[in-house]
Amino acid sequence: MSAPTAHRSEGQLRRALSALRHDPLALTGTAVLVLLVVVGVAGPWLAPAGINDVDVDRMLQPPSWAHPFGTDELGRDVLSRVMVAARVSLQVGAVSVGIALLAGVTLGLFAGYYRGWLDNLLMRCMDVLFAFPVLLLAVAIVAVLGPGLLTAMIAIGVVYTPIFARVTRAGVLSVREQVFVRAAVSIGASDLRIMRRHVLPNIAAPLIVQTSLSLAFAILSEAALSFLGLGVQPPAPAWGRMLYDGRGFVTDAWWLGVFPGAAIFLTVLAFNLVGDALRDVLDPRQLTVNEARRSTG
Amino acid sequence: MSSTRFGLAGATLALLLTVSVGCSAGEGVDVDGGNGTAAGGVLNAAIGGEPDQLDPHKTSAYYSFQVLENVFDTLVEPDANLAMQPSLATEWTTSDDQLTWTFTLREGVKFSDGTPLTADDVVYSYNRIIDEKLNTAYKFGTVKSVAASNPTTVVITLNAPTPNLLANLGGFKGVAIVQKANVESEEIITKPIGSGPFALSGYTSGDNIQLVRNDNYWGERPKLDGVRFTFVSDPTVALQNLRGNEVQWTDNLPPQQVPALLDGDEPTVQSVPSTDYWYLALNQGRKPYDDVNVRRAIAFALDREAITKAAKFGLATVNQTAIPQNSAFHYEYAPYSHDVNQARQLLDQAGVSDLTMDLMVTSEYPETVTAAQVIASQLAGIGVNVKIRTLDFAQWLDEQGNGNFDSFMLGWLGNIDPDEFYYAQHHSGGTFNFHKYNNPAVDQLLDRARTETDQGARKQQYEQVAKQIVDDASYIYLYNPDVAQGWSKQVSGYQVRTDRAIRFRDVALTR
Amino acid sequence: MARFVIRRLLQSTIVLLGVTLVVFLLLQLVPGDPVRVALGTRFDPQTYEALRARAGLDQPLVVQYFDYLRRALTGDLGVSFRSGRPVTEIVLERLPATLSLAVTAVLFALLIALPLGILSAMRSGSFVDHAARVFSQFGVSVPDFWMGIMGILLFAGVLGWLPPSGYVALTEDPARWASHVALPAATVGLVTASILTRFIRSSMLEVLSEDYVRTAEAKGLRTRVVVLRHVLRNALIPVVTVVAVQLASLLGGVIVIEVLFAWPGIGRLTFDAVQARDYPVLQGAVLLVAALFLLVNLLVDILYARLDPRITVK
Repeated sequence: MSAPTAHRSEGQLRRALSALRHDPLALTGTAVLVLLVVVGVAGPWLAPAGINDVDVDRMLQPPSWAHPFGTDELGRDVLSRVMVAARVSLQVGAVSVGIALLAGVTLGLFAGYYRGWLDNLLMRCMDVLFAFPVLLLAVAIVAVLGPGLLTAMIAIGVVYTPIFARVTRAGVLSVREQVFVRAAVSIGASDLRIMRRHVLPNIAAPLIVQTSLSLAFAILSEAALSFLGLGVQPPAPAWGRMLYDGRGFVTDAWWLGVFPGAAIFLTVLAFNLVGDALRDVLDPRQLTVNEARRSTG
Repeated sequence: MSSTRFGLAGATLALLLTVSVGCSAGEGVDVDGGNGTAAGGVLNAAIGGEPDQLDPHKTSAYYSFQVLENVFDTLVEPDANLAMQPSLATEWTTSDDQLTWTFTLREGVKFSDGTPLTADDVVYSYNRIIDEKLNTAYKFGTVKSVAASNPTTVVITLNAPTPNLLANLGGFKGVAIVQKANVESEEIITKPIGSGPFALSGYTSGDNIQLVRNDNYWGERPKLDGVRFTFVSDPTVALQNLRGNEVQWTDNLPPQQVPALLDGDEPTVQSVPSTDYWYLALNQGRKPYDDVNVRRAIAFALDREAITKAAKFGLATVNQTAIPQNSAFHYEYAPYSHDVNQARQLLDQAGVSDLTMDLMVTSEYPETVTAAQVIASQLAGIGVNVKIRTLDFAQWLDEQGNGNFDSFMLGWLGNIDPDEFYYAQHHSGGTFNFHKYNNPAVDQLLDRARTETDQGARKQQYEQVAKQIVDDASYIYLYNPDVAQGWSKQVSGYQVRTDRAIRFRDVALTR
Repeated sequence: MARFVIRRLLQSTIVLLGVTLVVFLLLQLVPGDPVRVALGTRFDPQTYEALRARAGLDQPLVVQYFDYLRRALTGDLGVSFRSGRPVTEIVLERLPATLSLAVTAVLFALLIALPLGILSAMRSGSFVDHAARVFSQFGVSVPDFWMGIMGILLFAGVLGWLPPSGYVALTEDPARWASHVALPAATVGLVTASILTRFIRSSMLEVLSEDYVRTAEAKGLRTRVVVLRHVLRNALIPVVTVVAVQLASLLGGVIVIEVLFAWPGIGRLTFDAVQARDYPVLQGAVLLVAALFLLVNLLVDILYARLDPRITVK
């Protein structure tokens, strides 16, 4: 009885891929993401200069052939730092959304599948987390645990867990009454097996959409945390942190403000474009970007 | 607000109204110059941040003292050359054994609320610091008792001769004379009452503090009607505000622009060397930093000019000892030239290679974070791999106290007497000797100089101390920063002080 | 209707209880002794003991929580570790600044989003529609603080039209308040506008496709009248809720923008509290914001139920 479910998710994926191929915006987004991953992986080797090559004799130099993005307040090459920082952003995005996905899907699955008091308890907990503006909660968590890359990832992961739980639960509720699930129950399949083999594959579509959009917001949140000095700590480069460090100099050195910010913008835009395109195909019920963002407060 | 008995959610709007009413009431006593008081006007000053609280005995934030300098008085106070001059005390005598000091207070001094300031207030203030073990209690370490023999006489009895007692009693407003009623009502936290030239008149949390002229002030009547301190954390904004005449004074100037501003005409910007110093300390309780050769190697590997340029944009004087050039106790000594070969040799002698050094800095003082990155790149040149650890200050202090560090960078601010520069930091039993420096010869010298009443001999002893500390690289001294402040053409009578005290009592504003 | 209101009230109360628990537990998660850590250089034994006792840290955890809850219900959120002042007082005096910024930002957003959203829905596929989509994609992707920095560079730096940051109370000097609020409100407002534009567009499209609109059109009423009479009224009901929710989340203080523009609101307060490790103030600010958010959501739901009776049935 598992054949139709497998068939269905494969079809979805195929449709998604072909949709991406035919949407110019989504194609652009995908291209940017591919470039980003390449830079993220190979950044340290591709970068024209070392990220910690301090040289006080060439500080705050405007863009030139030698330093296309200029140099910062310690004479380091901004282009190299922007490139290497891509890794941090991708890492934070992947890990924090990974945390949110794992926790949210698990909670949502159990809540939606078993209903009753468990559903009530779990979803009220999610409501509680949902009552805090995203960045405020992340800042509070980081404040308590201490600033740094790891705590930033945990904080962002926690903050985005409720939305995955809600999306999952909604999906489970609609799937669990369908014929193939009932059939699986009637032949005595275990709950865990049913969830894994029959339920999960059928709610993959909204989850893929949500993951893609959440990556955008996670990266945006990390940038905001770093801009407040609460994320990645120096000398490691991160886009938000570069803006934070350069804040005192932007009126004299615009390049310190423009390039790292543009990097964040393009990355987030790329994830959003791909996410929107996926949603149009996979999840016509339109869980909008806006709902996911809710507030960067 | 504590008497408000509402459920939280339901009452939010009601509370909101209460607050707006509270605000406009507070602004009723606003001293903004817009109301056409032609005489003195209100000086708008931009400072870099908000005071944590306004109790001079409890705050340790420089932002608080920028304000409180103009609100409170001390028994004596430092003049422009940091020599102690009469303030609330007009004269003082010392007994032959140097153990009893008798201060005569100025007649007719009043707090800004009109109540008299007497010897009892002095006794109360000092005993509060001593009994409650507040921040400055260490300055009273040799004080046995403080007593008022009559309303204008204070007698201080000591356990040991203390040649720098005046500096301890007047060095800064952290030892100010406060009012008992003000302390006990806890209003001192937000509405302190002092006897200084200005009195607090308004406080908008997160934005500004307003002072008005204190008409009960004992000294010459201040020319200004008031001062409004606005908190502007971004130095480029502060400068822009100064240029746009939104403020007429600021000490929060973008360091990279100060050199150009010094040459310019408007605004007036002046820069003087401060008494502060910044340093690198290596933990001698850990290997291999217990080896003097390793410490000296690091001292030789540093290019102080480059560090200073990065951390302060040249607004500092490189110094290999603690006490700055303009002090009478300055000692010219600079054995560490930037010499990578020498540094490598010393490391070889110590048998050290592949060293990874933890360097602890704090986001509270961003220049440590900046300097650390330069230090890291310089030490990489002699094969030392520096791992920078950035902590917030509370955590930083914990780690320092527990000795959990290979090295750290920090500064000492506002010291005046050489004892303050050396004793607590380098005596084997010193309160701030977290890096575990131990040299019996230095201990002995420090103990002797502390009670030495002959000024010439004292200076000589401190020179010996300085030389030994530098040779042992107990601290690796880096630089003395300058104090740069700027004001508009309208401001006259202002002087930049080396101890960073901000005094507006003689300032006038032309309009 | 009454049953719906009661159920929502009950639900909100439970969630609010959960919120207090989370906020309370924040302090427990601090590694080490929070009071010690907070005091740092300002450590003195008396203050330390006083703050510990005041924060109730010498009690068992469960006692501490119920104590916290009891005091919070009477408006007592403890005292600041940093200044010793009551937290309620500190938090509430920051509300006017945040409120004035949030309201201005939302008004600014509506000014853009209403015409853009309505036009793009009515002329689906037109140039306006494309522009609206590009705009809203831009708005949700751009980091607001980066846009703020660029705004400061342009309007305060190059053009010199507006002050780069700072705050003047509305009650003190409305004109100077306006010049100071313009940049931060525009920054926040653009992001909000992009969210609202999308929502208004899709809400309009939904109503436009409903039967009675088609009927009206078929009857020959001129398009503009149809839009004004029927569509707008029906499409804007859900928009009201979204606007309210946006406003509520802005009241939570747009931390980054308030920090960037030195705007002394709740967000800045939160940030300063984090920097100073002033946990009671952090707790108080977070609690207030979450409570406000819940309250607005509750009101919106009830309002919505009144406007659209179908909801109660669901």
